[in-house]
Amino acid sequence: MPKHYRPPGKKKEGNAARYITRSQAVKYLQVSLSVFRRLCIFKGVFPRDPKKKVKGNHHTYYHMKDILFLKHEPLLEKFREMRAYEKKVKKAVCKKNRDLAERLLTRKPSYTLDMLIKERYPKFIDALRDLDDGLTMVHLFAALPAIERENIQAERIHNCRGLSLEWQAYVSRTHKLRKAFISVKGIYYQAEVEGQKITWLTPHALQQVMPQDVDYKIMLTFLEFYETLLGFINLRLYSSINLKYPPILDPRLKALAADLYALTRYVNAKDKKDVGNNEESELRLAQLQDQLPANEPGALMHLVENTADENEEDEETRACKNLFKDMTFFLSREVPRESLLFVITAFGGVVSWEGEGAPFEESNQSINYQIVDRPTQSHRFISRDYVQPQWIFDCINSRLILPTEEYMVGKTLPPHLSPFVDNEAEGYVPEYAETIKRLQAAARKEILPMPGGEQDDLDNAHNLLAEGIIDRTKAKEAAERKRKMAVLQEQYHNELKMEMEGAEKNTTTTTPATKSKKKSADEETDDANLQQFADDDDNMSKVSMSRKKRRLYEAMKISQERKKASVDTLKTRKKNIQKSKKTTSD
Amino acid sequence: MGKSKGSRKGKKAWRANISTEDIEDFYEKSSKDALSGGSLTEVPSDSLFFVDKSRDLSVKRKIDKHREKILRVDSILQKNSFVQAVPSSNQKNSFKKRKASAENSSQKNGTTDTGMVDIWDNKGEQAGKARKVSKLMVIPAVEVEPPGCSYNPTSESHQDSLAHAVADEMQKIYTKELRPTPVPLTVPGEAIDDEDMYFLDADKENDDDDDDDDVDENDDADLEKRPFKTKRVTRVVLNKRIRNKEKMKVQAEAKKTKEFAKELDSLPAIINEIAKEDEEKSKRHERCVIAKQERLKSCPPRLGRHKFEPAPVQVLLSEDITGSLRKLKACCTLARDRYKSLEKRGIIVPTAKSGRK
Repeated sequence: MPKHYRPPGKKKEGNAARYITRSQAVKYLQVSLSVFRRLCIFKGVFPRDPKKKVKGNHHTYYHMKDILFLKHEPLLEKFREMRAYEKKVKKAVCKKNRDLAERLLTRKPSYTLDMLIKERYPKFIDALRDLDDGLTMVHLFAALPAIERENIQAERIHNCRGLSLEWQAYVSRTHKLRKAFISVKGIYYQAEVEGQKITWLTPHALQQVMPQDVDYKIMLTFLEFYETLLGFINLRLYSSINLKYPPILDPRLKALAADLYALTRYVNAKDKKDVGNNEESELRLAQLQDQLPANEPGALMHLVENTADENEEDEETRACKNLFKDMTFFLSREVPRESLLFVITAFGGVVSWEGEGAPFEESNQSINYQIVDRPTQSHRFISRDYVQPQWIFDCINSRLILPTEEYMVGKTLPPHLSPFVDNEAEGYVPEYAETIKRLQAAARKEILPMPGGEQDDLDNAHNLLAEGIIDRTKAKEAAERKRKMAVLQEQYHNELKMEMEGAEKNTTTTTPATKSKKKSADEETDDANLQQFADDDDNMSKVSMSRKKRRLYEAMKISQERKKASVDTLKTRKKNIQKSKKTTSD
Repeated sequence: MGKSKGSRKGKKAWRANISTEDIEDFYEKSSKDALSGGSLTEVPSDSLFFVDKSRDLSVKRKIDKHREKILRVDSILQKNSFVQAVPSSNQKNSFKKRKASAENSSQKNGTTDTGMVDIWDNKGEQAGKARKVSKLMVIPAVEVEPPGCSYNPTSESHQDSLAHAVADEMQKIYTKELRPTPVPLTVPGEAIDDEDMYFLDADKENDDDDDDDDVDENDDADLEKRPFKTKRVTRVVLNKRIRNKEKMKVQAEAKKTKEFAKELDSLPAIINEIAKEDEEKSKRHERCVIAKQERLKSCPPRLGRHKFEPAPVQVLLSEDITGSLRKLKACCTLARDRYKSLEKRGIIVPTAKSGRK
């Protein structure tokens, strides 16, 4: 009898019934393979990995329920209709009936993905949760060249660019950007919209090549879905800040490839209108104030101004908004303009750049920082600092205006650290992260770092001060922890004693004096038995755990140990590097 | 034979045969035209012909009359005010109503100028449940690179990432080395002539055949010659056998009890052994589970014919770290990265094309 023999009249069972290979599915749905693939991508149906692969290991399997789900999709019928229509057109063309062909082409049936988006993401938050991939894809295609061979049309690339910039404009207007990291692959950004952390990757501003091992048909299908999704999300977000969507942009700025600036201007113009409304309310308020006793005229007005904006803003957004407040930046020709424009405006700064359509010139006196990326700067204004672009990114990641000495023109930069790494969890803190932490602590204690141009020894002293503060806080924490431990131990012993007394069934009444004696005795023996107690506690909890939990716990222990080992290797490596440096310098 | 008339091919003969008819015709015609007042060929056709509309009216009337006539079949079907119409179905009506209501609602809702509607702005509708998607995917859509892949990394983390990249490369090389050696395409040595080849094969075949035949024959002979007889069992032997059997039984029992006692003594050791075995088993299982999870984290389940091959880590070489964003040698194949990410999450099936380098 063969392995998967099924007697006639008996239904299929198990994996044979539950899963279906791709070719079977295509036959079942009566569509072509390409249509099937498109449909799968649109509907979010992915291949599965069944435990028993009935048809063999070299097939792709789909769940039968997924295929039935596809079967009831109206889009399937639409695709069939489109195919029939295409045949009509083809027939007309082949019969040299040009009139008919042209007329048919003008009324081609088309489809929309709106219902699918609604179906896959019933709530707005679901859509936001799944936005990472879409954003990255749209940003990528915004940077790709249009190639006819791969059927990548220029219109779609323009559309992608528009969508990505609209998203960026929203994020920078509402100050939702949290982190940015420049890696070799590209620039990672993380924003927090409606409590969802959204991470996306944008390519560096340089020519992207099109690798041959990528199936662009699939990518374009994904892109189609994501374009629709991002369009709806942008619409929703724009309407949430009372803006019209799609935005109308200044054509001159668009021609100069300064779309982002045009968008931000559009957004801000709308803001000004809002401010006009505010002015009206202020007028009314002033009238009110005439009737009121005039003791605090300014405060009330101020209050109204702020409530409108910052009601729904959380603390972090406010921090982000105020990071570059009242600062003016100027971008040189050689720095990546778009990413810096996005980042600086997202953190409340004002930016201009070298080139046409810029809001103000390089000679403007109000500029505080000029971002340059060249070995030397010949002509300098005294009133401003010349820093390299990394300074901006490090500042926003640490939420702190870092001292600019290390980032000056021509200096070797400190390392660019990844903000996505949790140093505490990893257990290893790079040197520069520690100095940044110190600075942050200093800023929190309201000891503001002195403005730029301060001397090294002063800086060192400053560091020392910060260190002292940190040490003190650490010591405090340690003391607190010790006290808590002691309290816990006491409690534990008391409980033990209670149990003992319970065993004696309260036959003997212990006087408080003896109790206290016992306690003191216990305290004496405490230090010796501490380790023992800790071990016992550990074992007790281990015994009382269920098997599953215990295994999990052990696995956790193992992973912790592994982490520790890796940290140790890192440390030793660092030591070695330092040693080698010393020897080379000597 | 009369007197010859001379050659007919001469010039005289030609002249004699030329007709002047066409010239005469022309004169005649021109004189005729001059008398009648111009040739008709030069006159425009409008003046020569006209459309006769005198009988058109009657034709029109004819058609009208024909049209006015109603056939008997049609007259039956014509609307009669005394008979009430029966609707074929009320579907059309409801459709119209629905359409109208939809239009109204869309006007009420915030439709933008381009016709885009906020699809999540459902006031009356209930938000449907999202379809459950199996939560096998543990890999995030956008994986953030380790800190060593920064454009200006710390030396430690950079070394770490670099070591990872090198380890991956080395593993590839080792697996290639450890593969069985492929069959060489060319064999060293001289080529053998066709004739020699024939002899080589023949010699071998002959030898083999002979040996095989011999063996077979011997076997057959043994089978035939074997004596076919059984020994007779006497009473004495039988008794002996029975006695022996009983004795053996007793001995075995004694042995068994002895061993049982021995095992009983060594019970704790056995228990220990079992416990150890169990522990080992559980540990092995744990390792398996953890390894599986790790594997799922780094690569997807096998979905098709081809295995997923991860893209190499994008990390700068030590000499490429310039510390300047302007001089950065950045990765320019982000499209591949996205494609690999899709493959890694098990959304699309890896193909041979994408696995090849």
